[in-house]
Amino acid sequence: MNGPTRRLATSLFLGFLVLLGSVTWIQVIGVDRYRDDPRNARTSISESGKERGIIVAVDGTVLARSEPDPEDAQSFLRVYPAGPAFAPIVGYTSRLAGSAGLERGFAEELRSRRDLTPSDLLAALFGRDLRPRSLQVTILPELQQAAYDALGGARGAVVAIDPATGDLLAYVTSPSFDPQTLTGDDAVAVREELLADPDEPTRDRAGNELVRPGSTFKTIVTAAAFETGTYTPETTFADTAAFQLPGSEASIANADGNPCGNGREVTVQTAFVRSCNTVFAALAIEIGAPQIGRIAERFGFGESIELPWSTTASLFPTEELEQDPAALGQSGIGERDVRATPLQMAMVAATIANGGETMTPRVVSQIFDADGETVESFEPRSLGNPISQPVADTMSELMERVVTEGTGRRAAVPGVRVAGKTGTAEGVEGAPDVWFIGFAPVENPRIAIAVMVEDGGDAGGSATGGGVAAPIAATVIDRWLSIRP
Amino acid sequence: MTRAAEAALLFGAALLAALGVTMVNLVGGGGLDAQVALTFMTMAIAFGAVHVAIRSFAPEATATLLPPVALVSAFGMIEIYRLDPYRASLQRWWLLLGAAAAIVTLAWLSRTGLNALRRYRNVMFLLGVGLLLLPMLPTTGGLPVRGLEANGSRLWILVDLGFVQLNFQPGEVAKILFVGFLAAYLADRNLALTGARRKIGPLAIPEPRQLAPLVLVWAASLGVLVVQRDLGASLLLFAVFVAVLYAATGSGGYLTGGALLATVGAVASWRLFDHVDRRVTAWLRPFSDYEDAGYQIAQGIFALGTGSLSGAGPGLGRPDLIPFASTDFIFAAVGEEFGFAGSVAVLCSYALIVATGFGIALRTRDPFRKLLAAGLAFGLGVQVFLIIGGVVRVVPLTGITLPFMSYGGSSLLGNFVLVAMLARISHEEAA
Repeated sequence: MNGPTRRLATSLFLGFLVLLGSVTWIQVIGVDRYRDDPRNARTSISESGKERGIIVAVDGTVLARSEPDPEDAQSFLRVYPAGPAFAPIVGYTSRLAGSAGLERGFAEELRSRRDLTPSDLLAALFGRDLRPRSLQVTILPELQQAAYDALGGARGAVVAIDPATGDLLAYVTSPSFDPQTLTGDDAVAVREELLADPDEPTRDRAGNELVRPGSTFKTIVTAAAFETGTYTPETTFADTAAFQLPGSEASIANADGNPCGNGREVTVQTAFVRSCNTVFAALAIEIGAPQIGRIAERFGFGESIELPWSTTASLFPTEELEQDPAALGQSGIGERDVRATPLQMAMVAATIANGGETMTPRVVSQIFDADGETVESFEPRSLGNPISQPVADTMSELMERVVTEGTGRRAAVPGVRVAGKTGTAEGVEGAPDVWFIGFAPVENPRIAIAVMVEDGGDAGGSATGGGVAAPIAATVIDRWLSIRP
Repeated sequence: MTRAAEAALLFGAALLAALGVTMVNLVGGGGLDAQVALTFMTMAIAFGAVHVAIRSFAPEATATLLPPVALVSAFGMIEIYRLDPYRASLQRWWLLLGAAAAIVTLAWLSRTGLNALRRYRNVMFLLGVGLLLLPMLPTTGGLPVRGLEANGSRLWILVDLGFVQLNFQPGEVAKILFVGFLAAYLADRNLALTGARRKIGPLAIPEPRQLAPLVLVWAASLGVLVVQRDLGASLLLFAVFVAVLYAATGSGGYLTGGALLATVGAVASWRLFDHVDRRVTAWLRPFSDYEDAGYQIAQGIFALGTGSLSGAGPGLGRPDLIPFASTDFIFAAVGEEFGFAGSVAVLCSYALIVATGFGIALRTRDPFRKLLAAGLAFGLGVQVFLIIGGVVRVVPLTGITLPFMSYGGSSLLGNFVLVAMLARISHEEAA
């Protein structure tokens, strides 16, 4: 009778081993995932009331700081003096509503270590500094506020990047919310209200919203064509009013319904400057989905970036489009199956501006201690070279023409050479999502920008990228000129 | 291990409980107070008395059984106090009552000997069935004992003695009675069940007549699930039944048949009953179903994850954010405040208790006592596995108690009796 009893005991102990394995997974291996889950209020609860480091911009503007609580001498209040425009970057830390943004991503650095946890005591024993550390961010506060104001409450986003370093100069989502409202005792109710708002003010439209990029995607298709070596700006295509999609009843027309140029043939350059759909549908089908997909991926499509908050990966479904030339034609003009975030399109503009090299977007430039000494600094890092220098230079020329003589004329700013590309993505229903991506000054680019306005903003159904998004870009670039660091 | 070492370890567990309560007090600005003294005295008196009872009524019993029980009990005391001091004061009374029940059991068994239980085989069976049915009594009316529905399950009774009302979960005691019945029944007719086999293809299965009790208990445990909506008790009952049957006969057919029937029952109840479906959803996708069914499990995982290696410290975590932290989720509360170290200590303690139980069963020659020990040890182990497994997402959550740790009197009482019986079997074998 002992045999079966032994086997019962053995199976039970195997069961206990499984329990031990699962506990190990949760408490040892998966700790970061569960402890930092935004729905886990424990971290923000234990941090609330304690002093935290400041978050400060290069120009000295304080975006987050801790102040002594007037009602409780032992306790601190977290203050966000910069307001709604900075919510997607700074985020918040709240006893009741969890945490987000840099407050969450750098929670370990920002927190005071003087709270008697065993590991902190051990660190103190070895002479570690337990005071909270502070963050310096790359955001230019005036530019951030100007971009937020320029969107005028419309649903949309603006992302501005320093092409040479990858520094985020502005990261705007609109509409936004005041993070201070989430720190009070009514935070739960406030959060419910924000979540119920149809304009979704807590949504990160800059890095976490996938939108059809419209004609701004032609920058990638054109660069992909030049990269093959067989196409130049002077390559010509038949100039028709409509392009018949292969294997389909549908055709693609230009925005105004007319041919692009003289009605006989048209160069890639003219088609790009005037944003002619017929030519780019044909070009996309000619060079094929694999080539476009390869270049798009090198630009960062298909990969999400941690800023440290997560962003959504932009999409170009190469394999599906390879099977379906009609869909490829439509995707070649940024419609149908292509999706991109404003952050991704800003990176495309920045890469062209930077001679073909993509820099990793960076928000925090350094961490410093309570004495103001730098503890850690984050150097610019290259993400690779999706396109060659000559192709980038050619793209830059074409994009400058878009602003001087093409669809992007309203992005022009007196006193500086601006390059760019407009986009008007006709959704399946509703008003178009409109875009402008670009950079300035052309001879030595210091700012790359992407502007996206959902559903055409105030202009509604008649909105175009050139009419709605380009002027916003001009406002931001103009502002950048006046504060140019 | 000697009795003196056992006494020292029990004293240590009482000290640990008092120290934990002190630390919880310190977090709230208090310190050494009456709660600390009461915790220490309750632990010391309860386990000290059981220790003395074992010395006089079962002196040859193994000394490794009681100390791990005292250790998990100390962890439970600290966390219940940390979550709800009022419940802790009730739990102290239950601990004393449980110890008293263990002492009465030991004293009674030392008078009659364990084999006397065999004569009460059918009494145990009927009593067990009766206890299981008790919660189905009407919830209203003038009866002193009434059914009680809690959290969607019908497994409690309310004992109204006029001056005091007590909630009691009779299933915890029924578990022991069923093991006793099964051990006695199978020890008597072991041969009949191992006898003839019928061959179907490569499978040798027992005669249908021998499978009948299996199907009967399967139906009964499904009944518990359907009528009382109690997934945990149902599973536990069936698992213990199959295990004892297997231990008695050594015939793998019972395991296969049991597993098949359990699977059929599980899948059917998952498809048919909303409350089971909710549990399965919460088990598989606690985080995507966070706002609804998954909330409790997700909070438990957050608690454990935040506790990490060394834990937040007693009183410094937030186990109060977990629904039912002091009953179903006491393991998560310990894991949050005592960390991975505490979780492992608890798991190892239970493993030691169960291993000691099985060790007793293996050394025992008398078939009744052997089956009894194996059944009790297995029942305790499966119960621990089901509820901790539910918290750490190894199995769907079944609302049963964690022996000696969860808040609740019936569980403490039942499991103290169980440990007393194991101690007695151990003594009779050695003596």
